[in-house]
This record gives sequence, structure tokens and C-alpha cells, in this order.
Amino acid sequence: MGLEKQHNDLLLVKQKKINNIQLLRNQYTISLLNVGLREGLLNSQEMYEVQIQLMQILKESIRRYTREESSSISSDVAEEILTSILYAVDAFLFQLGDPENAINFVKKNNMEITYEQGVKIVKDCLEETRALFKEIRNNKLDVAVDSYNITIDESIPLFLKKYEVVFDAHNTMASIDYPLAIDDMTIQGVYYLKQYLTYLKIETEFCQMFNQDDLRDLLVNYGRMCGFDYRIELFNIFELVLNNAVFSVLSGELPSRIRISVQQYKEIKNLFSNISDSQIQLIILEAVEKLLHHFNISDSLMSYYIKQCGINLAKRLKSVVKHNRLQTVVILEQELKTPPLTTFNASDRMSDHRFRLLIEKIMNCEKSVDKIDIIRTNFHSLHDYIDILNTDCLLNDEYEELFKTFGDVELAILTKIVFYEELRNNSIYLSSPNIRKREIESEWQDQFIKFINKIHPSRKSVIQQYVYEIDYEEISFY
Amino acid sequence: MLLPQFFQSLDISILEKYTDEVLKVNEKTKQYGLVLTSNEIKDMIISRNQILYNYGRVETDISVIKELAEVFCTSPYIDNKNYQLTLNELQEIFYYMKNETEDRISDSQLVDIIREYFDGVCGGSLELLKSKLDEFAQRFRSDVRFRKSVFEGDEHLWD
Repeated sequence: MGLEKQHNDLLLVKQKKINNIQLLRNQYTISLLNVGLREGLLNSQEMYEVQIQLMQILKESIRRYTREESSSISSDVAEEILTSILYAVDAFLFQLGDPENAINFVKKNNMEITYEQGVKIVKDCLEETRALFKEIRNNKLDVAVDSYNITIDESIPLFLKKYEVVFDAHNTMASIDYPLAIDDMTIQGVYYLKQYLTYLKIETEFCQMFNQDDLRDLLVNYGRMCGFDYRIELFNIFELVLNNAVFSVLSGELPSRIRISVQQYKEIKNLFSNISDSQIQLIILEAVEKLLHHFNISDSLMSYYIKQCGINLAKRLKSVVKHNRLQTVVILEQELKTPPLTTFNASDRMSDHRFRLLIEKIMNCEKSVDKIDIIRTNFHSLHDYIDILNTDCLLNDEYEELFKTFGDVELAILTKIVFYEELRNNSIYLSSPNIRKREIESEWQDQFIKFINKIHPSRKSVIQQYVYEIDYEEISFY
Repeated sequence: MLLPQFFQSLDISILEKYTDEVLKVNEKTKQYGLVLTSNEIKDMIISRNQILYNYGRVETDISVIKELAEVFCTSPYIDNKNYQLTLNELQEIFYYMKNETEDRISDSQLVDIIREYFDGVCGGSLELLKSKLDEFAQRFRSDVRFRKSVFEGDEHLWD
């Protein structure tokens, strides 16, 4: 019986002249009409009438757009409005499912009806997206990742506030920086945002299944592993959590334990030695299944999403295993370190008024030694130091005089700021005799690099050690 | 996308429809001795389409030609000899100004502004009109106070 049904379904597919694979989701109506014309499902007169009807809708929309104050608009704006109209028409025709049904509907009904139904669907989608966002905001992760927080706190609310269903429905004008593990960026307008939030909800709910202190420590360890400030970088939190949960399973631990020890890492490394690509995929997917079972994940979309991410992890692992770079994927638990002592103190940041007075005082000093003295006596926070360095109130040798008064830890902190990109890419070694930076952002950075190059190699190696010991989150600057 | 071409594509029926619409304006303008023939109107509509295309604009109807004819028919600088030529020039100036003032002035107000300049400071000179309106557009874009005065109709600030 089942086989017979499959056979009949196959015949039905064969009899159809159009299937969705031939059509573009982003230009559904246009591609539907074109394929329909080619396959003889509508004739050129019907095609022409559809175009005339669309132009009528456009004319009406232009009148509304200009509030009947102007009979003409720029072609660019008209094209945007037409794209918005087609976005709504697409929404309606696409939800009819079968493309041939959609063509029949177009033939039997005026496009005005299709458009109005489409606008209603887009509006409904916007409401569903708003509700989805509310859930995500209520369940937001407590993490210090800027892109995640800004996307949820600022970018998405702005999109939902500004989104224009009638004249600009196709536009995805939000600056959504936080990257998802899986994202289809070919989708436009509110449908994109709905898809983004659907996936973000899955990711957030999954992350909430873990101990949140473990999750936050995982982020810190990720920052250490990559040599960057994880708070300001663009990466996907869910992926890190999922990957470590999978590695935990592979090392014989529970998936809920995302802290991976050196011993576990050795076991994982052993597991991947002498293993074929197909075996990698197999063991990852098995681990994902265990994880789904452990967390009792029954939601089909969530489990599908996690499995897809498992496949992505397997693909990545095939490459890193081949190149012996497993350590770039497994985030290891690192021991807590006591941060080195520094004279920089964030809590001693001065007021803007006092800052301006001191700048004036420094500018009026004739002797360099007096300038340096005022700075060292009054400035304590790193933020204030960076501000004063950026004011260009010091001249040539005065920078060197100031840097000379700093200890190794302070110089290491400034090195981490000046060489952020280079340290992130592991493309700099302080011990080199002549270190350089591709793009120097300011005079003080240029002077700092000259100063560092003059330092005795033994001191340089001490500073280098601090550079690797100090984590960015310890530098209370950002 | 071929949107401008589609909007401006003139099938005969639309050309006839637009011509009939503009012909009706003669009822008002003939009392000033100004009349457009069907052929003159058709030529103007064809020019209008080219102008719109050149300036990257699309138009939903023929109201601008009609409004220009209705507003300028009382100008002391227009007679039946230069009527069609002047209207043609004026429609080009009109769409140019729509772009230069970034679509921020309504059609009716813009036609009134052009008329004020044409009859006033320009003394009916189309060359001078273009140059004065260029200055107007430049000030309109850069000077917030001037822009406000335009919207509030403070004509003494325009000179």
C-alpha cells in the first residue's frame, strides 16, 4: 500500500509541469509567471494583463507614497515600491504551495486581490515575529558578548519598529551582527527576521539547558584560545556549546558537561587518530543522538537544527584532523589565573571636566618632565590614559618619556591594545627586533611601537609573557 | 528592471487618453488666446516621456502638463506663438527641479514657485529661470531656514 502511494505520488510529480525547484523564492511571482509562460500554463495576453494589473497597484501605491502631492517619483523609489508589492504577492502565491494552483489563482483573480491577501500575510508574519522576539528577549542569555546583546537589545527592536509592510516590505535594513550557526541570508524582509529569530530561539533554548557559569567560562576559555577579546568578536555561542557538548560525549562524559579537561582532550585526540572521514561523520552524529536523548529534545525543528550543526562540525573536523589542528575546535578548560598587578585602575576614572582641565594644564607646560609628572600623578585608569594619548597633547620624545615610566604589565596591556589584530592572528612576535603594524591608527601608537622596538630583548620577553597571561576581559577598558 | 520603459511605453490608446485629458485644458486657456492642437499635445507627451526617462523618473498620470498649462496661461510672457515651446521647456525644468529638490516639494507648490520666478525676477526668460531655479535648489538643499520658509510660503526669502 505504502509503495503504491509512493508510485502514485511519483506519477503526480511527473505530470506536473512546474515544481518549486524551478522557482526562485526571492522572485517567486516573476519566476512562476516566466516558467508558466514557457510551459504553456498561461499565454502572453494573460501575462500582459498581470503586468498591467501590477502597474495599477504600483500607481496606486505611488499615489499613497507621495500622499497625492506628486504624480511622479524617481525610478529607484518606484522600483523599491514595486519590489515591495511583489514581496507581498510572493507571500500569498508561495503559501498556496503548488505552483500550478498559484498560476490558476493568478489567471482567475485580479492581482489586486492577490496583493491585498499578501499584505495581510506579511502583516501576520510581522506579528508572529514580534511574539517570537518577545520570547527570546525574556529568555536571553546572560553573557558579555556585545554582538549578541546589541542584536537583541537594539538591532531587532529597531527593525520591528521601522519595518514598512507597504512600501519597503522586502528590505532587511537591520544591522543584525550576531551570527547564527545556520543562516539563510537569501531570504528578505520580515521572513528573514522570522527565520533568524526562529533559529536564535532554538539556539538560546539549547544554551539554557547548560549550567550558565560553565557557559560563561567556556566563552572566556574560547577568548583565551583565540587570543582575542571574546566580548567584541563575532562568533556563535550555540556552536561552541554544542561542539563542546559533543566532545564531552566523545570523551565518555555527559553532554551537559561542557568543561573539557586536558585528559579528555587527549582521549578525543586519540579517538580521531587514524579515522576515516566517513567514520568522523558517523561518530559525531552518534554523539549528537546521545545528546538529543540526554536532554530529551523532542522538538523536530530543534533536533533537525542540532543535527545539521553536527554535520557541519563533522565537516570541520575532517579538515582539522587532517591538518592536525584539533586544538582549534575543542575549547579546553583553563586554570583560573591571578591577574598580574597593574597601576591602571578602572575605578579611578576621572570626570570629563577634570580631564579637560588637566589637558589644558599639560598643554601649558613648557617642560616635558612637568607634562609627564602631571600625567603620572593624576591619571590612573587605562581609559583615561588612552584618552590622553589620543588627544595628541604630547610631542615626539615626550611619548617615550611617558612610556618609560610604565612597568612591564602596563606596557603589556598597551601592547595588547596596539597589536590587537596582530595578536589575534598570531602574526606578531614581540621578540622580533623590528616589530611593525600594518595600519597605525594614531601618533601615540606609532611612538609606542618605536619605544617597544628600543626595549632590551630580555625585558621584551618579560612583557611578551604578560601579554599572553593577561586576558582582555581583565583589561577594564572596553 | 524595465520599469521606466514600462511606465512610459505609449500604446496608442493611452496616448489618445492623455491627449484628450490635456485637450480639455484648452477650455480654460482659450480665454487667454492659448490653445494646443492634438498633435502639439502628442509631441509634448512624447517629449515628457523622454524627459522622465532622462531624469530617472516615472509618472502615474499626465497631471503635470495639465497643471503647467493651467497655471502659466495667465503669464504675461506667454502668447500662442511660444506657448507649446515654453510649456515643453517648463516641463523639463519641472522634472529637473523635482530631482534637485529631492522630491520634497509637492507638484502644485513647485509649479507655483516656477511661475513666481518666471513672471517675477526672470521676466519671462527661460534661460534666467533655469539659472535662478538652480540657485533656489542649491539653497533649498543646504539651508534649513530657507527650506522652512519655502514650506511656509515666505516668498520674500526666495530672492
